Amino acid sequence: MTQIAANHPAPAATALQDTEWDARLARIAADKRMSKDNTTLEPGALGGVMKMFLGVGVLGLIVTLIGGFAINPYHALAAYEVGVFTALAMALGGLFFVMVFHSLNAGWSITLRRQFENVAWMVRWVWVMMIPIVLIEILTKGMLFDWLDPSKVAESHLLQVKEPYLNATFFGVRFLIYGLVWITLSTKLIGWSMKADETGDRSLGRKARFWSGFGIPCFALTTAFASFDFLMSLDYRFFSTMWGVMYFASAALVSTAVVTLIASRLLARGKLVGLVHEEHFHDLGKLMFTFTVFWGYIGFSQYFLIWYSNIPEETAWYLFRQQNGWQWLFVVMTIGHFVVPFLMLVWRKTKRSPKLLSMVAIYVIIITAFDMVWIIRPMAYLNAGPDAVDPGFASWNVFLDIAGVVGVLGIFGAILTWKIGRSNLLPIKDPMLHEAMSHKNYV
Amino acid sequence: MKAQIDKLLSVVADYFPMVVRKPAPRFVTERGNRVYGLVAEFTETPKVFHAAEHVRDAGYSKWDVHTPFPIHDIETAMGIKTTRLPLMAGGAAIAGVATGALLQWGTTAILFPQVVQGKPYDAWQAFLPITFELGILFTAFMCIFGMLALNGLPRFHHPLFSHARFCHASNDTFVIAIEAEDPNFDPVKTRELLEKIGGTHIALIEDEN
Repeated sequence: MTQIAANHPAPAATALQDTEWDARLARIAADKRMSKDNTTLEPGALGGVMKMFLGVGVLGLIVTLIGGFAINPYHALAAYEVGVFTALAMALGGLFFVMVFHSLNAGWSITLRRQFENVAWMVRWVWVMMIPIVLIEILTKGMLFDWLDPSKVAESHLLQVKEPYLNATFFGVRFLIYGLVWITLSTKLIGWSMKADETGDRSLGRKARFWSGFGIPCFALTTAFASFDFLMSLDYRFFSTMWGVMYFASAALVSTAVVTLIASRLLARGKLVGLVHEEHFHDLGKLMFTFTVFWGYIGFSQYFLIWYSNIPEETAWYLFRQQNGWQWLFVVMTIGHFVVPFLMLVWRKTKRSPKLLSMVAIYVIIITAFDMVWIIRPMAYLNAGPDAVDPGFASWNVFLDIAGVVGVLGIFGAILTWKIGRSNLLPIKDPMLHEAMSHKNYV
Repeated sequence: MKAQIDKLLSVVADYFPMVVRKPAPRFVTERGNRVYGLVAEFTETPKVFHAAEHVRDAGYSKWDVHTPFPIHDIETAMGIKTTRLPLMAGGAAIAGVATGALLQWGTTAILFPQVVQGKPYDAWQAFLPITFELGILFTAFMCIFGMLALNGLPRFHHPLFSHARFCHASNDTFVIAIEAEDPNFDPVKTRELLEKIGGTHIALIEDEN
């Protein structure tokens, strides 16, 4: 064997030699756009923004809490859940994109990857914010989850059949598994990215790619089942195999919107100049457009099959949301969540202008919150009885809904802002950074 | 207006010479053949890139750069405007959606109401897939055929192929070709421009009638 190896040496390695690698990193570091001033925020630069988010968030949560005790606990919990699942969509979408970029060895997105990582990093805090929901549901024996209530299980055959899956113990275990998967994946991937900022070690990128490979199926399963457990099980009668995909579509959509917003705000502060430019916004806009259409396609397919087959156990979910004062939400979903963003994003100019695109991004974040309202809020009305909660947003009680969403998103924004300020604004030692810098769309 | 009609006739004549005769050319050679234009050769990428900028700045609109490989940003150097195709495709999309929606709604809700599966006559849900598909179909057709109409393909022959040296444009040479149909085209001045910007082997291309 040795003889053969000596006579027929392996062909020269096609991968980069270590010297070439270092030379490339040095070339990138010498670029004047990579100055420290352009790639990092001064300490405390985002203090004001963070305090604003924190103030709004704490105020919102306090109002929700007071409302929960003083007005209606069902309503308050539903409002809090709307906020948490909007935030979870943001964080999970970020995690998804980080893994996709790693596994596809994406070049264009490198200057944006750190922001996707920051959003993905938030998944741990959203998970923490989900703990109160789990505890309240289990301790109150199903405030919004009928299937946690033993008396309801006793009289419902359907609940008894579904009990092996829908029970408190297994629910708790699954919740821990989701947290384990999400936090492990985000911590590992972001940790390596941060470490590469300091050392420029070339094995880290390869590790990240390997982990992304099996991370994506793990992410897909946990996201789908988390959305089954927390959102679909709000109405235990309903079932849809598309549910997980729907939630994933929202996640991918809203996380792109959040990153667009962060990037345009950083540009407005004079950071990342020349590193993130209209070409990157164009691609972010395309992703937003893609997932708007994807959401619409999946959402309509789900609705259409149920509408056509007209089986009572399936149609009940939609029927309930088309009466009792919730009709307007159906219009918000079809027109507001699909037609309006579609028409806004179909224009090339919108996608290429950071200012216009960040306005669309804010709209997308709001409409994603409405998506969660459409899923969650009617169930509070159903569970608490018609007297307890207003259908739709008919009365002044709507402040509770606003407080819940703004509270959670405020806290989310505060922690995210803090995290953005703590590291470089892009992975400064990524070997493909030059690709992202000179990225150009030829369409 | 007359120029546009001539242009249209010229396009039709390319494909159906038995039906329409090509309008009289602006320039003819001594042999009486129509002049297609002038070509100049370049050997280096930066040279052809800057030459293209000069041609663009001289105000020419009907000309092209032929290269063996894609050159980044050559479209800005040539001053090529964004295509109108997206607008045409958008119009086709609206037409497709309107066709799909009106054909279904008009027939099943008004002209010939029929109970299908106990659904309302004008159930929009049932119309949506076909509306969507027709929108896609019309858009795709407009993208393909609009593209072909705008770039004048497919065609059987191009006058440039009668120039023997032109085949080097797919190997090691860059060629700038300025068409005689360009309003700014002048046999002497255009040749001077091509010489000034560093073109070699400048030649007049004849179109065979």
